Amino acid sequence: MKLLTHNLLSSHVRGVGPRGFPLRLQATEVRISPVEFNPDFVARMIPKLHLVEVPKEPIQGYEHDERFLRQMHHVLLEVDVLEGTLQCPESGRLFPISRGIPNMLLSDEETET
Amino acid sequence: CGTGKYLKVNSQVHTLGCDYCAPLVEIARRRGCEVMVCDNLNLPFRDQGFDAIISIGVIHHFSTKQRRIRAIKEMARVLVPGGQLMIYVWAMEQKNRHFEKQDVLVPWNKALCSQPLSESSQPGRKKQCGHPERSHPYHPPCSACRCPVCFKGRWDSRRPHSVDCDSALAGTCCANISKEGEEENGFYNTLGKSFRSWFSSRSLDESTLRKQIEKMRPLKNTESWANSTISTQPSRHSSFDLDHPEPFSTGEQNLDEEVFVETSQKHLEWLRAPATHKHLNGDHPRGVRRNGDGNFLGSTNTKENCMDAGNLEEGTPSASKIWRRISAADSKDSNPGDTISVEEQQSDILDSGAFMRYYHVFREGELYGLLKESVSELHILSSGNDHGNWCIIAEKKESCD
Repeated sequence: MKLLTHNLLSSHVRGVGPRGFPLRLQATEVRISPVEFNPDFVARMIPKLHLVEVPKEPIQGYEHDERFLRQMHHVLLEVDVLEGTLQCPESGRLFPISRGIPNMLLSDEETET
Repeated sequence: CGTGKYLKVNSQVHTLGCDYCAPLVEIARRRGCEVMVCDNLNLPFRDQGFDAIISIGVIHHFSTKQRRIRAIKEMARVLVPGGQLMIYVWAMEQKNRHFEKQDVLVPWNKALCSQPLSESSQPGRKKQCGHPERSHPYHPPCSACRCPVCFKGRWDSRRPHSVDCDSALAGTCCANISKEGEEENGFYNTLGKSFRSWFSSRSLDESTLRKQIEKMRPLKNTESWANSTISTQPSRHSSFDLDHPEPFSTGEQNLDEEVFVETSQKHLEWLRAPATHKHLNGDHPRGVRRNGDGNFLGSTNTKENCMDAGNLEEGTPSASKIWRRISAADSKDSNPGDTISVEEQQSDILDSGAFMRYYHVFREGELYGLLKESVSELHILSSGNDHGNWCIIAEKKESCD
């Protein structure tokens, strides 16, 4: 699971709503897999990220800061969580990550519907 | 996402594949895709995280209208305003196949995809799924000669393992398949798919389906199964027209066919059974229900029966025993309480590990209507029919606050 993916995930345990984001990540096994650097892509993704703590003054001109973009590229796309857990910050419910795959299934009792 | 066949069609987008089925997701992961296991009805995503979503051959597996709406609404929720959603579902109206009703069970025979991942007769080609490379995508019976072993279409040029796959591979009819079928397994592969194509499932309306599922739930062994029945009627051809493969043109049907790799010798014999054919057409297997089901190979279907082509020579009379029935065809006429004792060997089909998959096939306009009346957050951009699928592209409306 890439960290870019993690930024999209939110707990859907019944009653939790927006307080289900972000999931607390505990990684027990991580792999770095090289991914081709695409500065435009990274630059476009950054504003799409849902950042819980947003700096009051965003860095101007980050799109052209290659070093910054490379760092974001590495963090978002090259870090791969192979084993670990994702925890709902509100309910404490744990979702496993195995072989790089998060399993977000809930039982019927736990879900919204 | 299934095994991820569409996840890499566009190298310009970053994709995240989702499926309810963990083993399928594992396969997609092995192919290098970013994937996860989750529930379309409760997507574990924050609102407005995605620019585009595709749902190919998914929502027709949801068994109620409410669930289908919920699936679409969930996808709409996680789309950014202006983001687009494309949905493909099986159409009830098919060229080469007849669905009696909208709610159907379609057999999926696990025995037909028995090859482990490690086997491959064709080194150098990337695996598509947990099946050997010699597994070919589904080829419908050739409409020219109606021979189930003679197929239209060819290797699916949409295979993501080779994005620029040879479009010349899209061909027609027998000549191609005999080439593919040169290796013994290729022949059996295509037969296996034909075997599957025989089944256009018996239709079940939702309430009787529910009752039937309730009834079947406790049944664990084949002896128990012998008391309940599944009716299937052969389809004339598959509904797929692979003359002009296009991306997503067969939607999820392609996935069905991928898993139909090989047929066992048993099934092979069964297919070559004109004796059986006569039996099926002439007699009612014991205890066949009368009301409207009649002879499930009945007169309307005889010409659709692949065996009519007379291409199949020797045979065993075992096929009739493979036919079983679900005692629910028409809620008005049917008596879901009826169970029919089946002939001994009808457990054959279960021995081979047959499963059924539920489909709600859509009528023309139904998908459009569903979005229009129940998913107001989406604006429909286009809709149409693509090789036996109803498809729609819709856009998330800008929020109005």
